[in-house]
Amino acid sequence: MQREAKPRNARSKRALAKKEPQVHENPKTALFLRGTSCSQVVQLALADLNSLKRPLAIKFTKKNDIHPFEDASSLEFFSEKNDTSLTVFGHHSKKRPHCLVFARFFEHKVLDMLELYLDPDSFRTISQFRNKKCAVGLKPMIAFSGTPFESPTPNAYTLAKSIFVDFFRGQETSSMDVEGLQYLIHFSAGEESDGQPQPPIHFRVYLIRTSRSGQKLPRIDVEEMGPRMDFRVGRMREADQAMMKEALKKPKSLKPKAKKNIETDIIGDKMGRIHVGKQDLKGLQTRKMKGLKRSRDVLDEDIPMVDADVNGSGRSKKERV
Amino acid sequence: PTGSVAVEKPTPYTFDLGNLLANDANPLPPKPDEPALQAAARDAAQALVNQLLTTCPATATASGNVVLALPDAATPLPREKPAPAAKEPTAWERFAARKGIRAKRRDERGKLVYDEEKGEWVPRWGYKGKNKEAEQQWLVEVDAKREREKGEALDPRKESREARKERVKRNERKMRANERRSKKGVA
Repeated sequence: MQREAKPRNARSKRALAKKEPQVHENPKTALFLRGTSCSQVVQLALADLNSLKRPLAIKFTKKNDIHPFEDASSLEFFSEKNDTSLTVFGHHSKKRPHCLVFARFFEHKVLDMLELYLDPDSFRTISQFRNKKCAVGLKPMIAFSGTPFESPTPNAYTLAKSIFVDFFRGQETSSMDVEGLQYLIHFSAGEESDGQPQPPIHFRVYLIRTSRSGQKLPRIDVEEMGPRMDFRVGRMREADQAMMKEALKKPKSLKPKAKKNIETDIIGDKMGRIHVGKQDLKGLQTRKMKGLKRSRDVLDEDIPMVDADVNGSGRSKKERV
Repeated sequence: PTGSVAVEKPTPYTFDLGNLLANDANPLPPKPDEPALQAAARDAAQALVNQLLTTCPATATASGNVVLALPDAATPLPREKPAPAAKEPTAWERFAARKGIRAKRRDERGKLVYDEEKGEWVPRWGYKGKNKEAEQQWLVEVDAKREREKGEALDPRKESREARKERVKRNERKMRANERRSKKGVA
């Protein structure tokens, strides 16, 4: 296996530097590939997901003999070669019909995987919705509805939620143009009930239509545009605890620098502390009462107090000058 | 046509605006049909847009677009590669740290320096440089004490010029010695 290519010019050096670990990461790219037997439905689904994920998506056309849950080394090799950290592998068998495996990678090693079975009857492709689609490369709004996603214990649904957010969230930004809020990806799961099989995850993509509402906020209406998929939850492989911990670690430089002696109140006022040194009380400047000086006691007994005060204040004023 | 903008649900929505994410914990019926899903999606979209427009500070750009400042993403998502390790200090950085050499500030780097007396910027070195000021004095006092001891008094102009030349020669001597030393080390 060839080891890393040495860069011959500045351009290849830059390309190589982009693939290295960075403080602010590149947005994740997804790889779509198929297994040896893949139904038409799954192929269309892969194509649609690819178009949703554009331009951060790579689609392979050849068939690959891979079984992700048994041996994921092939997928890891593809992840390394293509610098992708998300993979969707589609295949079909009698035992696992219309199967899509979503996999996430950390350091090009499998972090976690989720197997979802697509329902062929309810599946609709993007082209089956006759409306104008949104621009490519926008950041979608994402919504999850239903109690299974909020389950306190990690289960297939919470894993699905994490994977889907990671998959669809696009580029991390700190600012967003209001015009760019064009579509919504909506995941929903019905109520779980004992005895019944696990509720399917409904995947819908809607265009956002705004209209005047008479108030400052616009009235939102949704119009379905994208693929319509219903998934039954299949096998999953949760992340190894240590690996997940490593993956969630934030680089030190991202931590906000805590400025000493500055705090923000609960109200939001910024308060600062000034540390004044210890004061030498011996050198404290107090009001001078000349009349009370020890030396006077013996000599000036007959001077009344009132006079002394008046004279004292007068004298002290002159003294100050 | 007006429409209601408010979204009322038994369990309120939770948001992660950095990811443009809205979570609705309200239960859906076990087998929801398309209109029900669409209604849930519409409510979620409305709630998300309401939250975005009310909480995020908006600025107007030059081209007239309204841009919202999004907060940081709140859901912990795994990175794709590990955080980069701190870089090793280079040989120069280690030397500078050991010797206590610090980088020059911006105002120390330029050629021009403000001369308070003249009230203008003069070059530090080179043609008409300030370092030759002492050599170009038109009038110097004679130091009587020195004259007695040594004979002719010292000429500060000559002194300062000789000192400058000596400094230059010393520097060049050291540079040549450095070169010899480093060449010897390699060979």
